[in-house]
Amino acid sequence: MRRPVEAGTAPAVPILALRDVSKTYRTVRGENIVALSQTSLAFEAGEFVAIVGPSGCGKTTLLNITAGLLRPSGGTILFRNAAIDGPTPEVGMVFQGPVLLPWRKVIENVLLPIEVLGLRPASRYRQRAADLIGMLGLAGFAERYPRELSGGMQQRVSIARALIYDSSVLLMDEPFAALDAMTREELNLELLRIWKMTGRTILFVTHNIPEAVLLSDRVVVMTPRPGKVSAVVPVPLPRPRSLALLGDPAFGAIASRIRGLLGPRSGPAA
Amino acid sequence: MSNGTVSTLYAVATFLVVLAAWQIAVTALHVAPYFIPSPLAILHALIAGRALYAANFLVTLESTLIAFAVALAAGVLLGAMVSESRLLRRTLYPLLIAFQSMPRIALAPVIIVWFGFGISSKVVLGAFTAFFPIFLNTVHGMATADPDQLALMRILKANRMQVFLKVKLPGALPFLLAGANIGIIFAILAVIVGEFLGANRGMGFLIVNQSNQMDMAGTFASVFLLSATGIGFHYGLGALRRRLLFWSGTGEAGREAG
Repeated sequence: MRRPVEAGTAPAVPILALRDVSKTYRTVRGENIVALSQTSLAFEAGEFVAIVGPSGCGKTTLLNITAGLLRPSGGTILFRNAAIDGPTPEVGMVFQGPVLLPWRKVIENVLLPIEVLGLRPASRYRQRAADLIGMLGLAGFAERYPRELSGGMQQRVSIARALIYDSSVLLMDEPFAALDAMTREELNLELLRIWKMTGRTILFVTHNIPEAVLLSDRVVVMTPRPGKVSAVVPVPLPRPRSLALLGDPAFGAIASRIRGLLGPRSGPAA
Repeated sequence: MSNGTVSTLYAVATFLVVLAAWQIAVTALHVAPYFIPSPLAILHALIAGRALYAANFLVTLESTLIAFAVALAAGVLLGAMVSESRLLRRTLYPLLIAFQSMPRIALAPVIIVWFGFGISSKVVLGAFTAFFPIFLNTVHGMATADPDQLALMRILKANRMQVFLKVKLPGALPFLLAGANIGIIFAILAVIVGEFLGANRGMGFLIVNQSNQMDMAGTFASVFLLSATGIGFHYGLGALRRRLLFWSGTGEAGREAG
């Protein structure tokens, strides 16, 4: 039985659904902190959903629970209508930092999931890794070590690593937050291209409103204390999208609506 | 010239200046050779007694290397086991920590009683002494594994063996090598103390005999030989470190400055 979800598209069979998920932390002083109050969300296969909100709104908690890294205090996570408990290879993740293993070459970092998941044949995945490295603009760097790469290039490697195996959902936790604005825009466009090519469902956490609007089909707006979803804003802008969209009045209207929803605390930032 | 070569030249030059000053001071002040020998007298003793030094040196080197190898194997193995097992962390770890705070060299006479005058007592003493820095550094290195890297492995549903081999062990390598560096110095120290107390061969044995006979040039020659060995170990481990930890980037930063 599916409960009605927030505004926006109501998918027939969501690929991923959160049902009444909540998270409460107990502090050392014995107080309970509600990091995430009861939240229900559903994601359609192939959808690109951004989650925005100021720090402390529970967006990373939400993502970590979805990834199976955190156990919710209440509620369930459903993958294709089946409850999941802990990480699954169907749900991949890109972290805020690149999280590469510095003793491994770029290609070996990209192939890490293949080794861990025990996927065969190795030659096929080696080819696939080389293709992904090329696709992410890292051709010629396959045999380099992470410390020889810039921050942006390292994050590209981590994206290639998340794409090498066939997870149907990709969770991204502010993957471009540490990068400069130009690299970030470049990677945003690349991510859209990859998303279209691979047909994955992407949940993208960010605190950058223009980035959220540029990328996504829907924007989940979260507010802090306690962390909760305050609205889900559809983004009916045409695709494929380019940076020219940033100056579009329709884009600006959606962005300012989201800014309004974030409350008076977030003034004219970003 | 690279920065490293320049630094080495400075170090060698300083060393030579000190030796020259020593030679001049001892000669000018007419210091008795049985009190402080001159560097040239030490060099002479070293060359004249080369067969004696070589034979005893090889005994000490052998004991030290075996002791170090045992300590390294045991330290890494037990360190890894303590890191992976909660039970061992609660039982074995406190026990080893208690041992750690004991002055291990003080056990040398006992170990010689147990293991005799041959090299086995020196190997046991050396291994026992060198074990702790290697063990503790391994445990520490594994405990400080990067939480993000561990989260990545959890996302991939990696099993414990995979997490250990692909993340924890390589991540602990810098700590492990730091422990090994201390360990080998501890090993040679303990072996020499063992040879002081009860042996019929080895550099420790030789030094005791030489000083008993007031052969100061010979004693100093022995000490210099041991210093050179210590420096050799240090550089050997440094080379190994650069080979194994090429990815950490610490060596590169120094070279870029040159």
